[in-house]
Amino acid sequence: MHTLADPPTMRGRSWADLDDFQAFIDGGGMVEPGDDMPTEYRDEVFRFIEFHANSELMGGLTERDWIPHAPGLRLKQIFLAKTQDEIGHAHLLYMVAADMGVKTRTEMLEQLFDGRSRFHNVFHYQAVTWADQVAIAFLVDAAAFASQRAVFAECTYGPYKRVLKRIVAEEGFHMRHGEEMLLRLATGTPTQHEMFQAALDRWWWPAVQLFGPDSPPGDADPLIRWKIKSQRNEDLRQAYVQKYVPLLHGYGFEIPDPELRQDAEGVWRAGTIDWEPLKATMRQGGPDSKRRIATAAANWADTAWVREALEVSA
Amino acid sequence: MKTYEVFLKKAGRDEFRHAGSLDAPDPEMALMYARETHARRAEGAEMWLVERGNVLVADPDALAVNDDKPHRHNDGTLVAARRKERREGDDS
Ligand SMILES: [Fe+2]
Ligand SMILES: [Fe+2]
Repeated sequence: MHTLADPPTMRGRSWADLDDFQAFIDGGGMVEPGDDMPTEYRDEVFRFIEFHANSELMGGLTERDWIPHAPGLRLKQIFLAKTQDEIGHAHLLYMVAADMGVKTRTEMLEQLFDGRSRFHNVFHYQAVTWADQVAIAFLVDAAAFASQRAVFAECTYGPYKRVLKRIVAEEGFHMRHGEEMLLRLATGTPTQHEMFQAALDRWWWPAVQLFGPDSPPGDADPLIRWKIKSQRNEDLRQAYVQKYVPLLHGYGFEIPDPELRQDAEGVWRAGTIDWEPLKATMRQGGPDSKRRIATAAANWADTAWVREALEVSA
Repeated sequence: MKTYEVFLKKAGRDEFRHAGSLDAPDPEMALMYARETHARRAEGAEMWLVERGNVLVADPDALAVNDDKPHRHNDGTLVAARRKERREGDDS
C-alpha cells in the first residue's frame, strides 16, 4: 500500500529505454511524478522548472522594491498584487520542482542566493525609473507570457502543465496592467513620453533576448523532442517582434534597433542580435546581477528567524 | 514541515480539483498559505487540504484498461454503419 508521501518512483510507470520513452511522448503521453522517468528527462525538465521558479522569485523581488515608488494608491495596490502573484508563481514551481526529487526547495534557494543558479536575463538589469517598471510590465511580462504559453501548449510533465495554466492566466493580468500604464505615459506629458522612451531603450533588447538564441537544428534540443517546448526560440522571438514593434510605434515610440526593417510581406525583422549580454547574465555578469543576488540573499538571511519560529511552532 | 495537497471547488459546479501542494508547519498555517497561494481571485468557493501521507495511491496496474471486459463499452459501430447505409441509400 502506498501514499502520496512515499518516494514517487515506487508507484508509477517505467520505460525500457529512451526510444521507448520517446514513443510514449510522441503518442501524446503525459509524465507524472510517480513515473520512473528516464534520468535525462528528469534532469532536463527539473533544470528548466528550477530556472523558471528562480526567475519568478527574482522578478517578484524587483516588483516589491517598486511598491513604495509606485505613483498613487491604485498603482501601489496593483504592484502589491503583482508581487504576490510572482512570489506565488515561484511557490507553485518550487513545489513541482522539489517533487522531482533532484534538489530540495531549500537547496534550490540557497544555490540561487549563492549565485550558483540561473534565472532569466531580464532580472539581471536595473530598473532606473518608474518608466522602467512600466517597460518591464509591458515588455518583459509579455515576453514571459509568450514563452510560458508556448510551454503550456504541450508540456508533457503533468504537474508543470497544471501550474502553468494558473501562472499564464495571472501573467495575462500583468500584461493588461502593463499596457494600461504604458497608455498613461504615452498620452501624458512630454516628460513622461521621454521617460518611457528612455526605458524602452534600456529594455527592448533584454526583452527580445529573453527568448534565447535560435534553437539547435531539428529536434536536437531535448526540450523540444520531449515536448516541453512547443515552439522554437527563434519563432517565439519573431512573433514577439512582429507584435510589439507596431504596438510601440502606435504609441509613438521608437525601437532602439537601427537595422529594424519590414520585409516585402510586411513582416518586421529585428537587426543582428548581440548575444554577449545574454551570455553575461548566465554567468551572473549582467549589469545588476551582483546587487540583485546580494539583495535576495540578504532578504533570505533576514527572514531566517521566521523559518526558525515556524519550525519551533510545528 | 508537512506537505499538504490543496483541492478547490467552484461554487455550484464541477468536482473538487487538485490545485497544487504546499509545505506548512501546522494546519492553521497550511490553510492560510493555501488561501494566499491558490485562491486569490475566487478560484474556488470551497477548499480542502489533505496531508500528503493521508492520500492513498492505487496501483496503476489495477487501473489499466480492462481489455478482457469489452462488454463494459459499446462504441456504436454497428448502429452507425446501418445509419450511414440508410443515409446513402436515401441520396441515390
Ligand atoms: Fe510570473
Ligand atoms: Fe508577471
